[in-house]
Amino acid sequence: MTATLERGLNALREQIDAPVASFFTSCVSCGLCAEACLFYRETEDPQYTPIKKLDLMRRVWSREFTLLGRIGGWLGLTKPVTDADLTAWETLVYDSCTMCGRCTLVCPVGNDLTMMIRKMREGMSASGHGPVELIGAAQRHIDGNSAMGDLSKAIHAQVKNAVEAAGIPIEFDKPGVDYMVILSAQEIAEFPDVLSAMARIFKKADVTWTISNAAFEATNVGIQLGSRDIARTLVQRVVDAAESLGVKGVISPECGHAYQALRWEGPNLIGRAYNFEVIHIIELLDQLRAQGKLKTKGKNSRKLTFHDPCQINRRGGINKEPRRLMNMVAENFVETEDAGTMNWCCGGGGGVGANERAAPLRNIAFKRKKAQIDKVNPDAIVTMCAYCHHTLDNVLEEFNMEQEVLGLTELVAEYLDEDA
Amino acid sequence: MANKPLLPEMMKTHGVSRRAFLKYCASLTSLMALSPAMVPRVAKALESAPRPSVIWLSFQECTGCTESITRSHSPTIEDLIFNSVSLDYHHTLQAASGHAAEAAREQAMKDNYGKYLLVVDGSIPIKDPGYSCIAGISNLDMLKETAAGAAAIVSVGTCAAYGGVGHANPNPTGAVAVSEIITDKPIINVPGCPPIPVVMTGVLAHFLTFGIPELDALGRPKAFFGESIHDRCYRRPFYDKGKFAESFDDEGARGGWCLYKLGCKGPTTHSACATVKWNNGVSFPIEAGHPCLGCTEPDFWDNGGFYKPLSVPSGDYRKMGLAAIVGGAAIGTASALLSKAGKAKAVKAHETVNAHDLEKSS
Repeated sequence: MTATLERGLNALREQIDAPVASFFTSCVSCGLCAEACLFYRETEDPQYTPIKKLDLMRRVWSREFTLLGRIGGWLGLTKPVTDADLTAWETLVYDSCTMCGRCTLVCPVGNDLTMMIRKMREGMSASGHGPVELIGAAQRHIDGNSAMGDLSKAIHAQVKNAVEAAGIPIEFDKPGVDYMVILSAQEIAEFPDVLSAMARIFKKADVTWTISNAAFEATNVGIQLGSRDIARTLVQRVVDAAESLGVKGVISPECGHAYQALRWEGPNLIGRAYNFEVIHIIELLDQLRAQGKLKTKGKNSRKLTFHDPCQINRRGGINKEPRRLMNMVAENFVETEDAGTMNWCCGGGGGVGANERAAPLRNIAFKRKKAQIDKVNPDAIVTMCAYCHHTLDNVLEEFNMEQEVLGLTELVAEYLDEDA
Repeated sequence: MANKPLLPEMMKTHGVSRRAFLKYCASLTSLMALSPAMVPRVAKALESAPRPSVIWLSFQECTGCTESITRSHSPTIEDLIFNSVSLDYHHTLQAASGHAAEAAREQAMKDNYGKYLLVVDGSIPIKDPGYSCIAGISNLDMLKETAAGAAAIVSVGTCAAYGGVGHANPNPTGAVAVSEIITDKPIINVPGCPPIPVVMTGVLAHFLTFGIPELDALGRPKAFFGESIHDRCYRRPFYDKGKFAESFDDEGARGGWCLYKLGCKGPTTHSACATVKWNNGVSFPIEAGHPCLGCTEPDFWDNGGFYKPLSVPSGDYRKMGLAAIVGGAAIGTASALLSKAGKAKAVKAHETVNAHDLEKSS
């Protein structure tokens, strides 16, 4: 089978439900979503208005699901959505939206625009309009074990390094432990220090954990590409692994959309509740801190700021936890403007970071975050998402900025009080 | 009529205390929707304002407006305010007659050219000027001649403001409002049949103290005509609860319920009747049990019957409305079912997306 226009339109029809109908009906065209959008704000190009990005889905809804639209269709007053239309919308839906969720938050009539972009991507991907990089990642992950290809050797090598560095054993596929840890491919490939950091923190806190050979990858390209079927398959792998190991919970790593996929979309995708809890690593560290199981010694004296990953903070609800941890280990912690739930995206989320075509636009969009960073002028930027980390590394280099980027888990582990 | 005493002296001769005067200033200030801080300014302005010359022209009218203003419960301060202007010509009130009367008007115009205030009551017939003349001068000519030297014009009563009863269909005299003839002078419309006395004196007071008041689209001072009678009506709670008098002798009428169904024009009529009331604040038509006629609105004579409710369509509207609801619901349900069927079809047509399905064959 191949992607066709009819499959795409059918996917859009499947996605149109009561919330979508009420959102399209209640939009008052006020334009506040434009002001909230990273891409519109930095380019001032009206095509980047979030609701405009949804126009094709609105047309399908209007023509096929409203009385007047249907009559208009019979009379030939409105045109059906064509493949050329979908092609024209490709860059709007995939390149100029990181699904950061700011527009949803400002919409005065409460329209969840981010959810609708997610739905619209279902139609785009089924009709063959997904970005090639995301399609490639989906194929690699479905056929193998990670979006980056086969990482089974890499994970074993990195775990071995971590065991040596921390002097603490890490066991694969150990049943009955507290948590199963999954990792973002970005962490395995680029930021493996998180493994030894977790090993040391969990050892001190008496938390038992394991990694599954069957499902160690946390990322879920189905969410970014917009394919429920692919997303469901990938979530199911994690669920099956966790349930067969009989763990109490699954630790979602420092990765934005992985948290979104497993914690919020997952149960809806597989159609049932999990037999385990999903907890973000930073959420867990803050719990351990509150229970007195996580103690630190000394503080980093450099000027540190914190970058909120959209999917974990704004769309995930983890806002105070990282700040409590930051204050444990940072002597000079400064916040940027709009920090917290209204934070501006790094520009790499929602699959935009993987999309080569979007790179120039992504660099323009980063200017907002850059201006805010420049204003507080920190020595280093701390975050809790490996992909934000990766994107920040790249754009800081692009703009010749000197700041170092740090992962919060690693930073906390650095000041772990081994004697407590 | 020149060299009249200033207001404080007038007050003394009429036995009005300063306290009563200040009370009047305060109520006038609130009536004009001004801040309480303005009371001293109003008092000062009224005390020291140079009394402008006022020429009052009565055209095609019933003298009801003059009756109203002179019936402002003498000796009230309103009366004094009126006395405090130099009323140089008013053919109903002045003692002079014949040539002497017209000479007074001409003299006042000459002495105060460009500064006097022109008050007009009554409409102006333009079909044949002979329908209404004073001293052999047609209303049209007299208005044009007198308006030329006026600082501003106050059209008192609905006839002068909008044509009134003279203008009502079929308008045999071709009666028109002042504003249709004079277009180059500021015109303040004080409609009403007749206007409330304190509204007339209030507008004059505003003109003396602060100049021309803020006007609405129909040229009426917003301070007095800004709100509808309905919005300020003490029977409004009955309207909100849907309790209406259906005839003038039913339980509703006796119980003081809303008169909407008996033709009350309160919802579309802007006037201060419901707040200021009439006869020194005693009552107003709705309080007396009669629906509002809407006399401060243009063409109130021709807006359907006085006892016909507002905005009620002819025919059996209840059945029509019911049919519309049933029809709308049917169309809506059918549309929803079609949408639901479309969605079910789409779900059925879903082919599971495989990661290798994401590219087009070409």
